[in-house]
Amino acid sequence: MSLRTALSSSQAHEVQKQFARMLVAPAMLVLLLVAVFPLIYLILVSFQGITMMDNSSDFVGFINYQAILEDTRLWQALWHTMVFLAIALPLELVLGLLMAQLFLDQLPGRQIMVGLLVLPVVISPIVAGAIWSLMFDNRYGPINQVLGWMVGHDMPLLWTIKPELVYPAILVAEVWQWTPFMFLLLLAALANVDKSQLESASIDGAGYWRIFFRIVLPSIWPVMAIALLIRLLDLFRLFDIVWTLTQGGPGTMTETLSIFTYSQGFKQFETSYTAAVALVIVVFLSAILMWALKRVELSR
Amino acid sequence: MKFRFDRLKLSCATAIASALLLSAGMANAQSAAQKAVDAAKKMCNGKTITIVWEAGLQSLDPKNFSGPMWEKLTSCKINVVEVPTAEMFTKIMQEFRAGTGAYDALNVIPSWMPDLVQAGALEPLDAMVDKYTYRDELQKIAPTYRDNQMKVNGKIYGFPDDGDVFIMYYRKDIFADPALRKDFKAKYNYELAAPTTWKQFSEIGQFLTDKLKAKGTYGASQFREPGYGNFMFQERFRNEGGKFFDANMKATINGPEGVKVLTDWRNENKFMPPGVEKFGFVENLATFVKGESAMTISWPPYGRFAAGYIKDEAMKWVPESKVAGKVGYALPPGGHPELAAGFALSVASNSKNKELAYLFIQWLNSEEISMQRVQLPYTLRDPFRDSHFTSKEYLAKWPDAKDYLAALQAGSKTGLLDLSLIQTDKYEEALRQGISRLWAGDDPKAILDDVAKSWDDTTKKVGLDKQKAVYSAWAAKGGAYPK
Amino acid sequence: MNRLPLAHRLRQHLRLLLAILITLFFLFPVYWLAMNSFKTADEIYASPPVWWPASLQLNNYWVLFKDGDAVSVWNSLVVATGSTVLAMSLGTLCAYSLARFKTGGDHLSNWIISQRMVPPIAVVFPIFLLYVFLGWVDTYIGMILLYTAFNLPYVIWMMRGYIQDIPRSLEEAALVDGCTHWEVFWKVVLPMCKGGLFATAIFTFIFAWNEFLFALVLTRTEVTTYTVQVTHYFGGQSNFWTKIAAMSVLGTLPVFIAVVFMQRYLVRGISLGAVKG
Repeated sequence: MSLRTALSSSQAHEVQKQFARMLVAPAMLVLLLVAVFPLIYLILVSFQGITMMDNSSDFVGFINYQAILEDTRLWQALWHTMVFLAIALPLELVLGLLMAQLFLDQLPGRQIMVGLLVLPVVISPIVAGAIWSLMFDNRYGPINQVLGWMVGHDMPLLWTIKPELVYPAILVAEVWQWTPFMFLLLLAALANVDKSQLESASIDGAGYWRIFFRIVLPSIWPVMAIALLIRLLDLFRLFDIVWTLTQGGPGTMTETLSIFTYSQGFKQFETSYTAAVALVIVVFLSAILMWALKRVELSR
Repeated sequence: MKFRFDRLKLSCATAIASALLLSAGMANAQSAAQKAVDAAKKMCNGKTITIVWEAGLQSLDPKNFSGPMWEKLTSCKINVVEVPTAEMFTKIMQEFRAGTGAYDALNVIPSWMPDLVQAGALEPLDAMVDKYTYRDELQKIAPTYRDNQMKVNGKIYGFPDDGDVFIMYYRKDIFADPALRKDFKAKYNYELAAPTTWKQFSEIGQFLTDKLKAKGTYGASQFREPGYGNFMFQERFRNEGGKFFDANMKATINGPEGVKVLTDWRNENKFMPPGVEKFGFVENLATFVKGESAMTISWPPYGRFAAGYIKDEAMKWVPESKVAGKVGYALPPGGHPELAAGFALSVASNSKNKELAYLFIQWLNSEEISMQRVQLPYTLRDPFRDSHFTSKEYLAKWPDAKDYLAALQAGSKTGLLDLSLIQTDKYEEALRQGISRLWAGDDPKAILDDVAKSWDDTTKKVGLDKQKAVYSAWAAKGGAYPK
Repeated sequence: MNRLPLAHRLRQHLRLLLAILITLFFLFPVYWLAMNSFKTADEIYASPPVWWPASLQLNNYWVLFKDGDAVSVWNSLVVATGSTVLAMSLGTLCAYSLARFKTGGDHLSNWIISQRMVPPIAVVFPIFLLYVFLGWVDTYIGMILLYTAFNLPYVIWMMRGYIQDIPRSLEEAALVDGCTHWEVFWKVVLPMCKGGLFATAIFTFIFAWNEFLFALVLTRTEVTTYTVQVTHYFGGQSNFWTKIAAMSVLGTLPVFIAVVFMQRYLVRGISLGAVKG
C-alpha cells in the first residue's frame, strides 16, 4: 500500500509540509551564510564614519544617508544606469525572442549554431569590453574599416571618446553579450509550448499574432518574466563592459551606479558611505520588486 | 728591557688596532646584499615571504630571476602575489584593514605612500636600515628618487626601486635629414633639433607632419588617454609655471597655465595620428617603433624596446622595431620630466615576518642585485642608481645606450614628482575625467574650473589644515616644482 | 495546397540564411578575439587591421601551459562546476517546494530574489572579513560556496518558472498511483523540465565562470580564476593581447563543447512540422 493512502488526510498534509520544508532547508542555509553577516555589517558601518583615513567605529548618525541626498554625481550615475537599462533590456528581449522563434524549428546545423551563439555570454565581460574596445579602435579595429567600405570614404569615428558615440558603443557591446542569454532561455520556454494547442488554433484559422499573444506569450511568460527580472537586476549593476570601454567617461557621462560605487568604495575606501549607498540601492530595488510582483502574476 | 717591553706593547697595540680597523673595514666592505643574505639565512627556518608585485611582465623578475636566486642563497621561500596594477592599492588596503597579515613585502607607487602611511599599513624602516647598515647604499640612489620617494614625515617607508621618468624620444635620422633641416631653418629661423620648449614642439610637429604624412609618418604622437594623460598634464602644467594649490590650499589648476596646456593639447592633436585621443602606452609604442611618429614622450622602456636588441620570448608582445639605431633621446620640453608613477619596495606593517621581508627588499634594492635586475631583458624596472647610469654592461647593450642612459640620468636630476596628498586618487580622478571631457569637446576653462572645484571639495572633506600640511611637505621637496 | 511545398522550402531557406547571418554577427567579435591569439604584435597593431593572421601557430597556447597560467582555467572549471552542481541541486529542490507547496509564501521567494539585488561591491569586504575568520580565503571551498550562494536565487526562480510550466495532473496521477513525493520529483518532474534544467545550469555555470570581483578579492595565488588571470595581462606598461586572446579561447572551449553536446535536451520534441502554416 502506498504511503499516501495509508495515512489520514491531515497526516499526509503534515508529511507533505515536512517534505516541502526539507527541500528548502539546504538552500536557505547556504544563502543565510553569505547574506546575514554582510547585511548586518553594512547596516552598522553605514552609521559609522569609516573612510580611508579614519578607521574608528564611532557612530555618526545619518551623515552618510544625508550625503546621499546631496550627491549629484550619485544621482547622475543612477540616471545613466536607467538609460542603459531602458534601452538594452527591451532590445535584448525582442532580439532574443525573434532569434528563439527563428531557431525553434529544425534547421540543418542548428545544434552547432546554438552552441556558437552562447559564446558571447561565456566570454568574461572584461575581455568582451576589451575586445570591443579594440574593435571600435580607430586605427586597429575593423568597425571603422567596414563602415568606411560601406560609405566609400574614411570614417574615423572615436566610439569610446565622443559623447554622441559612447552610448551606442556601450549598448552594442552589452546587447551583443547578453542577447544570447535571453535567446537560450526563451528557446527552452518556446519549446515547451503545448503543440496541440498551437495546432488547433492554427486549424481554427487564427492569425500569427493572435496565436502569439493568446497562446504562446502566456505560456512562456513565467520564464520570460524571470529572465527579464534577472537581466534587469544585472543591468542595474552594469560595470565591466562600461569600465573597459570608457571608464565611465567622457567625464562622468557613462558612469553607472556600479562604477561610481567601485571608485568610491574600492579605490577611495569611503567604506561607510558606500555601505549606505548599497543599503539604499537594496531597499530601492526591493520596493520596485514588490510593486512589480504585485502587479504581475508570476505563479499559477 | 723596559724599552723592548714598551716597543712590544706598542707593536701589539698597533697590531690589534690594525686588526680591528681591518675587520671593521671588511665588515663595511661587505655589501648590503651579502649582509641581507647572511642574516636571512640564519632567520629563515623554511619560512615563506609573500610579496605583492604588479601582475604580468613586471612579475617575471621575482618569479623567474630574483625569487629563485634568493631561495638558492638563503633557503627562504618567496611567494609572489601578482595583482593587476589597477587593483594593487585596493588589495593592499583591504588585506591591511582585515588584519590578515597575508603580505610581508610590498611594491607601492610612491604617490600612494601618504595614504598608506596615514592608514598605518607601512612599516617604518629606519631601525632596520641602521641595523643592517644600508644607509650608505641608499644614498647612492639617484637624487630625485632618493630624496623624494623614500620618506614620509621624515621616516623611511620604502626603497625607490624603479627609475620611472618621462623622456623624449625622437627620430634623429629625420632630424638629421639635410633637406628637412634646410626647409625648417628657412621657415622658422632656428635649427631643427629636439624641442626645448613646447612652442618648438608644436612647430616641429606641424612641420614634420606636413612633410612626411604622405609617407605615413606624423610629426609626433603622445599619451592622450586620461590615465596616462594625467601624468603628462602634471608635467607640462608645472613646466609652464603652474602651481597646483596656492598658499591657502585653494586649487589653482584652472589658472592660465592649465588652460594653456589643454588648449595646446587640442591644437597639437591636429598634426598627430587620427585617434591619438585614445593612445595609451602600447598604442603610442606601436606607433613610434613602427616609424609612424617622429617624436614622443614616454617612460624608459620605450628606449629599450625601440632599440630592438631584446630577443626574449617574453617580449613578443612588442611590435618589431623599425627604428632601431634611429632614435635620439632628450629631456622633454621644459627640461623637467615627470617621474611618473615609479615603484618602491616596502614592508607591510602587520606582516608576521617583518625583518625577513625587510632583508629581502634590502637585497633586491642593493647595488649588486638591482644592477642585475634593471638589465634583465624583460624588465620594466628602469635604472635608478647612479651606478646604473654608468654601468659598462648596460652601455654595451646597443650603440646609442650611452645617450639613453645620459638622458635618464639628466631626468633623474631635474625630474618632477607626481602630486602626492591624502586621497591622491580623488584628485587624480577629477583630472582624468577632465581630460576625457577635453577629448569629448568641452571648453578647457570650464573643464578646469570643475576640476578645481572638485579638488577644493575633496580638500574640504579631508580637512583643509591636514591636507595643507601634507601638501606643504610635498611642495617643499626638491622635485615638487621646477627651480 | 500545391504551392505549399515551394513556399515552405523558400521559407526554410530564408530561415537558414537568416540563422547563419545572425550567428556570424554574434560570432564576429569572438572570431576577432580568437584571431588575436595567433597574431604577432605587428599584426595586432596594424592599421588597417589584419583580418587573418599570417600563421596559425599554437605557440601562444603552449606558453600558457608552460608558464602555469592555464591552471587558472582549471581553477575556474572546478569552482564553476562545483558551485553549479551544488546550486542546481539545492536550488531545484527548493524551487519545487516553492512551486508546488508555496513554502514560505511570497515572503520567502521575495527574500530569495532580493539576494541578487545586493551590489557585490558593497558586500565584498564584509564577506572577505567573514572568510578571513573562517579561514576560507583563497580556497576552493570558499569560492564554491560563495558562488553557490550567489547563484541560488537565479536557479530557484528559473526552475520555479519551468516547474510551474508542467501540468500538475501528471504529478497528481503519480501520487495516486502510489509514488512517494521523492519519486514524483525524480521520476515525473525532473525529466519533464530537462530543457529548463539545462538552460538554467548553463547560465549558472556562466555566471560563476565570469565572476570577477569576488575572485579578485577572495583569492591570492591558490585559486586564481581565469577572469582574474586575464586581467593580469593588462598592464600599465604592457598588454599581452595574445595571452588575453588565447586564455579567453581556452576559457570558452569547455562551455562551448558542453552546450553543443547537450543542446538536444534544450528543445523537447522533434517538430511535427512547422508551427505556423
